[in-house]
Amino acid sequence: MAVPARMDSRHAYFMKQALIMGEKALETGETPVGCVLVYNNKIVGSGMNDTNKSMNGTRHAEFIAIEQMLENHPRTLLHSTDLYVTVEPCIMCASALRQYQIRTVYFGCGNDRFGGTGSILSLHSDLSIDPPYVVHGGLFREEAIMLLRRFYIQENENAPKPRPKKHRELKTSFQNSVPGSQSSSPTI
Amino acid sequence: MDAENMLREVQPLVGEVVPIRSVQETRPVEDYADAYVAEVNVKTASKVIKALDSAFPRDSSHPLNHLRRFAKHNQIPESLRPALLKEGYLPSQTIFVLVPSPLPAPEALQTLLAPFVPPPRETPLPQTPTAGPSLPSTPAPPPAAAETTTPATSNITLHTITVPMQPPLTPTQAEHWSSKMWPVVFNPAAPRALIAPPPQILSRVRDAIAPKAGRYLALAQAVAAQAERSGLGRGVGAVVVDPELEPVPENSTEGAEEGSSWTDAIVAVAGDGRYSRREGGNPAQAEIAGGSGPSPHCGTYNADWEGGPELHALMRAVELISSKRREDKPGSRRQKIRPVLYGLEEYFLRKSDVPLSSAETGAGVAEEEETEDAVAPPPEKYQKTTETEAHAIHLHHHKEAEEQKVDADGGGDGGGGAGGVGPRIRSREQGGYLCNDLDVYLSHEPCICCCMGLLLSRFRAVIFPRRGRMVSGGLASEPVVKPVPVEAGSDHPVETAEGGTDDASTKNREYYGLHWRKELNWRALGFEFVAAGESEATSAETGVAFHA
Repeated sequence: MAVPARMDSRHAYFMKQALIMGEKALETGETPVGCVLVYNNKIVGSGMNDTNKSMNGTRHAEFIAIEQMLENHPRTLLHSTDLYVTVEPCIMCASALRQYQIRTVYFGCGNDRFGGTGSILSLHSDLSIDPPYVVHGGLFREEAIMLLRRFYIQENENAPKPRPKKHRELKTSFQNSVPGSQSSSPTI
Repeated sequence: MDAENMLREVQPLVGEVVPIRSVQETRPVEDYADAYVAEVNVKTASKVIKALDSAFPRDSSHPLNHLRRFAKHNQIPESLRPALLKEGYLPSQTIFVLVPSPLPAPEALQTLLAPFVPPPRETPLPQTPTAGPSLPSTPAPPPAAAETTTPATSNITLHTITVPMQPPLTPTQAEHWSSKMWPVVFNPAAPRALIAPPPQILSRVRDAIAPKAGRYLALAQAVAAQAERSGLGRGVGAVVVDPELEPVPENSTEGAEEGSSWTDAIVAVAGDGRYSRREGGNPAQAEIAGGSGPSPHCGTYNADWEGGPELHALMRAVELISSKRREDKPGSRRQKIRPVLYGLEEYFLRKSDVPLSSAETGAGVAEEEETEDAVAPPPEKYQKTTETEAHAIHLHHHKEAEEQKVDADGGGDGGGGAGGVGPRIRSREQGGYLCNDLDVYLSHEPCICCCMGLLLSRFRAVIFPRRGRMVSGGLASEPVVKPVPVEAGSDHPVETAEGGTDDASTKNREYYGLHWRKELNWRALGFEFVAAGESEATSAETGVAFHA
């Protein structure tokens, strides 16, 4: 399920919007994951991680974006809506997206700690009471990883016992494979 | 009926709290890999280890501590004897060293081990000399060398064998591997760390929650009933308990029989609210249905009527706790998006408004609260409450056990017994963090989304009645089976439950066992409550399939 080699500019545009949301998250001290929901070539919802500010560990970008979309649209719109998210949806979000019957998910980098669409579980395609959805990984993978790296060299001041990370350096090199995801990076 | 009366009428479920096995236990991955074995001079064994460890550092994420590094002659499994013992050294002369993965280059390994080659044979076997530049695993000896009796070969021969990469889960499995593959050590504590919760912790928590689990689950069901009756949601409920607020068992059994003092440790309850949300300016499903009474949608599953997982009981409970941590102002935007829906929710939220302001107050205050305190009383009132000594001891124990709490309590900890008791739900400033160390009791097996939500929220434990299993659930790790002796049969010591039910024709759900998966960063203890005399026919698994 790799992204078509000639990824059209539409995908690139929307993933860049997701990356901008991720960048915002980084600026506000949240895990830098951003996403946009796209219906009919229009962004109908966008979100970034909000777990620290909200003190609620379930406030991931996908939930924020859906909440925003539902302010103006009925839930049925999600059947023909696509998600662009910088990091593979976690298990929680992968299940939520299936319950909401999203049409397609495009993600940047894989998530080998929590990934729910291929890395750890495959909730988009497993046996379920909801229909499966299509997943494409690897769009702007390196940009998504760099966002995360820039975040994780910081210390988590919100944790009860932050781990000291004084000696960490920002890595800028990449391996070629997307760990755990179904696809390798497309050439963009 | 008001909350107090409802709480008084809650009749505890009767049954047993059973740990949910992890998927690592129910579907053990038997992971094997190649390893080298070399015969070395027994007198140099410690030098061999030093040389190996400095030249080929071990992969700390796979320490492989269950594999013995050396095997004596008599420890070599039967099947390996022909290959390994054919050099004919005496047990007093040589020992076999294991070099497991990551495997070094064979040449490098042979060079490293060259100084430790076995000494000359005391009783050389004329037929099997191995001098000469033979390759590791094919020591085809040149026939001409048959006469030479001298020093043992300067070459180290590397034998390739297969070893188990995961620690054994049972002594039986360890014995089995030792007799077939390579000597393996069973360590009852350490190797299970990611496979399953440490047994001591699991049984300690189970013993701690067992006395009241039936009550909390009955309350979860009462909350569920309230949610369903209102038409705002399905009949699913959640009760969140802070074990730190739990009175000591001696006290609670006396008080538990009457009134609502048994609810002292409950910090929040929440019911399902999936029909309550307006979407895109349209009325909510509950408003469309009109009036009260259960929603007409309850009897079927149509995804478009289901709201979303953030309206499920677990997610709503998490949000209610978060709102306390954030100290949301009444009427804030967040409260409009996620309103408090039910009377019981309101009751416990209000109770949590009461700061337990000093060390003199403990969790044992609610007996008074129950009688008259529909509205939050001034905190001074509680400073008069006499402390029960037992309670102080309880908290003291707890602090010893979990020192991190001291940090979380902030600076107000005066020490001396029950210090540092803050409000029932600590705010961000007071060190409150997500749902750290809380337990959640649910009327149903939560959906996969909620399961991961509870892990991300750092709950300590999750408990639901086995009758509340759902085909869409994410906690069960195996079908309900009649008890099978776990260690029966030495060949496959941990294979039991899945038998017969896993084939595609009968499979109607996945068994994720999400509470304790080694791949995930966060884990929680998972328990099922098996009601006394339970029959499978009553399981929600066979009812309407929806996400709880």
